[in-house]
Amino acid sequence: MSIIEIDSIYKTYQDEGVETEVLKGISMTVEEGDYISIVGPSGAGKSTLMTILGCLAQPTSGTYLLDGVEVEQLNDQQLSRVRNEKIGFVFQAFHLLPGVSAFDNVMMPLLYCHTSPEGAAERVERALERIGLGHRLNHTPGQLSGGEQQRVTIARSLINDPKILFADEPTGNLDSKNGAEIMATFDQLNAEGRTIIVITHDPSVAKHARRILTLRDGRIESDQTNENFQKSHTSSARAAAE
Amino acid sequence: MRIFRNLTQALHGLLLNKGNTFLMTLGVMIGIASLTVIVAIGEGTKAKVLNRIASLGFGPDSFSVYSGAGRLFFGRSRNTTSMTLQDADDIRAMPNVRMVIPRQRTRMKIIHKKDFTTTRIYGVTPEWRSARQWVITDGIFFGDADMERKRKVIVLGATPARKLFGDKDPLGKKVRVGQVFFEVIGLLEKKGLTESGYDPDDRTLIPLTTSMSRLLRKSHLHSLKVVAMSPELVEETMDGVTQVLRHNHGLSSLADDDFRFITPEGIMQWVTESEQAMNRMLLLISTVSLLVGGIVIMNILLVSIRERIHEIGIRRCFGARRSDITQQFLFESVFVSLLGGGLGIALGLGLSVALQQSTFIPAKITWEPFALAFGFSMIVGLVFGIHPARKAAWLNPDETLR
Ligand SMILES: Nc1ncnc2c1ncn2[C@@H]1O[C@H](COP(=O)(O)OP(=O)(O)OP(=O)(O)O)[C@@H](O)[C@H]1O
Ligand SMILES: [Mg+2]
Repeated sequence: MSIIEIDSIYKTYQDEGVETEVLKGISMTVEEGDYISIVGPSGAGKSTLMTILGCLAQPTSGTYLLDGVEVEQLNDQQLSRVRNEKIGFVFQAFHLLPGVSAFDNVMMPLLYCHTSPEGAAERVERALERIGLGHRLNHTPGQLSGGEQQRVTIARSLINDPKILFADEPTGNLDSKNGAEIMATFDQLNAEGRTIIVITHDPSVAKHARRILTLRDGRIESDQTNENFQKSHTSSARAAAE
Repeated sequence: MRIFRNLTQALHGLLLNKGNTFLMTLGVMIGIASLTVIVAIGEGTKAKVLNRIASLGFGPDSFSVYSGAGRLFFGRSRNTTSMTLQDADDIRAMPNVRMVIPRQRTRMKIIHKKDFTTTRIYGVTPEWRSARQWVITDGIFFGDADMERKRKVIVLGATPARKLFGDKDPLGKKVRVGQVFFEVIGLLEKKGLTESGYDPDDRTLIPLTTSMSRLLRKSHLHSLKVVAMSPELVEETMDGVTQVLRHNHGLSSLADDDFRFITPEGIMQWVTESEQAMNRMLLLISTVSLLVGGIVIMNILLVSIRERIHEIGIRRCFGARRSDITQQFLFESVFVSLLGGGLGIALGLGLSVALQQSTFIPAKITWEPFALAFGFSMIVGLVFGIHPARKAAWLNPDETLR
């Protein structure tokens, strides 16, 4: 079964009477364990598509099956639970809670779990150790470098072990070294079986994915399999190991 | 429990946004403090008025009839001349009446050598002393013989005695009022100022007959003090007095009374009415001050939501429900209100105690306004927090992250 199935998704924004049609009939399926990059010019609707796939916004029309569930039918409580359990987000601007320690930032999704998670503190510590920030638990975002902040957001997005990870320009605010590290982490997460969807402008980031989707003016322009997938994957894994 | 986690998040949020927290707490604190202080002042004023009434010297069996239409101490005309000794005699003849003291009253300068003071001068009959049960500390009170002979004798209250004679003994000395020289024959016991600053000792007493024929040179009375046989008979006696006076003054059945009663009940009623008016005013002021505190909270929360719109979006991305956000912001406002309420109560209590110790504004501390204030601050937090909280919760998660 596909983990994501969307059919004829339209999205129209209404701003002070002016209608902007941003998505104009998008249909696609994503299999579990897929590694997709979405590319396209600015304003093509990439972020808009991600907010819909991430259950942060509803499409104007069209259907969305997430893991076999019709998303349109869900109420706020159910949508919140889906976001909490099945989806992780990584943003270009990090979006960490300001003034809050790395530990508490990673802990945050656990506050909204359906049932009180056991051993939450240990889980958070382990997640931060895994991304090499075990010694920075009490640092606030302002006291962390951009690369460190982005690693905290990855720890946060993974703390609930979601099936899908969405990343919108995850390397956009990072230098190339930190960007490469982040992508190596994604490669590894995908190798472990997690579905990953990365939005990017950067061709060197896009080529990490197995499948490259090009969006233009609200429509899918092309949907290609990345010939170089294995090669780039192994080379970045090597780069990360160094 | 999810709700406790939201509570913790709210407390963290308040700690992180210290500036806003401080301003909101201040808003509620000022509202609550002013509420409690205003009520304390109101209660203090009430106590003071009651005290003043107690000092008027009414027993439960007595009342006064003042000449002239009007209400209580507020006469409508100053020159009604209809009340006479005949009225006093007729009332005294009523079976329910134990005692009637007819009175003339004036305010004049009283002079001894080079010292002088202006004081109230009452022309009364010898029964006055037993009706008021006022002790004579030195000398004697005038008697029937003084009345009959219209003797020029005077009894001084403590205030004129002190002002005219200082430490010297006034007994036997002469004082002049207008063109008449009086001999001081007695001194009234000092009662001291009432809380309101009314001085009951600022008075002198002369025989009524002397007052009528030598000092004022007119025969109409200022008022009558009537003592009934028992407290239960007061009302009946008042009806009888009304009939006698209306008859004696030749009032037709359509005419208004040309006299008025002053009774402890009448004064109480008047006080109650003024108190109710005062309470309404207090209520208005308190409501306004709380409203101001509430609106401060609401505005700061709304501003705070704009500042924290990202935080809301992030939380929503990672699984916060609308109800979680609502709870978080509501907890923040309720907590701030309770904190501000607590501090306001402390401040209000401090100010009330300070006022109580000072003499120029009366204050009386009662527990009710403080309990009320605490309840109010909770309600303020809920009522004024709900709008910002719901507003925060209904923001679209995708739009808050832009
Ligand atoms: N809330 C909104 N109201 C009106 N127009 C919107 C709204 N959100 C997005 N848009 C418009 O939709 C279009 C697509 O926006 P979107 O953010 O999806 O583009 P994108 O492909 O992610 O671009 P970029 O690469 O610059 O991030 C843009 O023209 C944008 O102005
Ligand atoms: Mg975008």
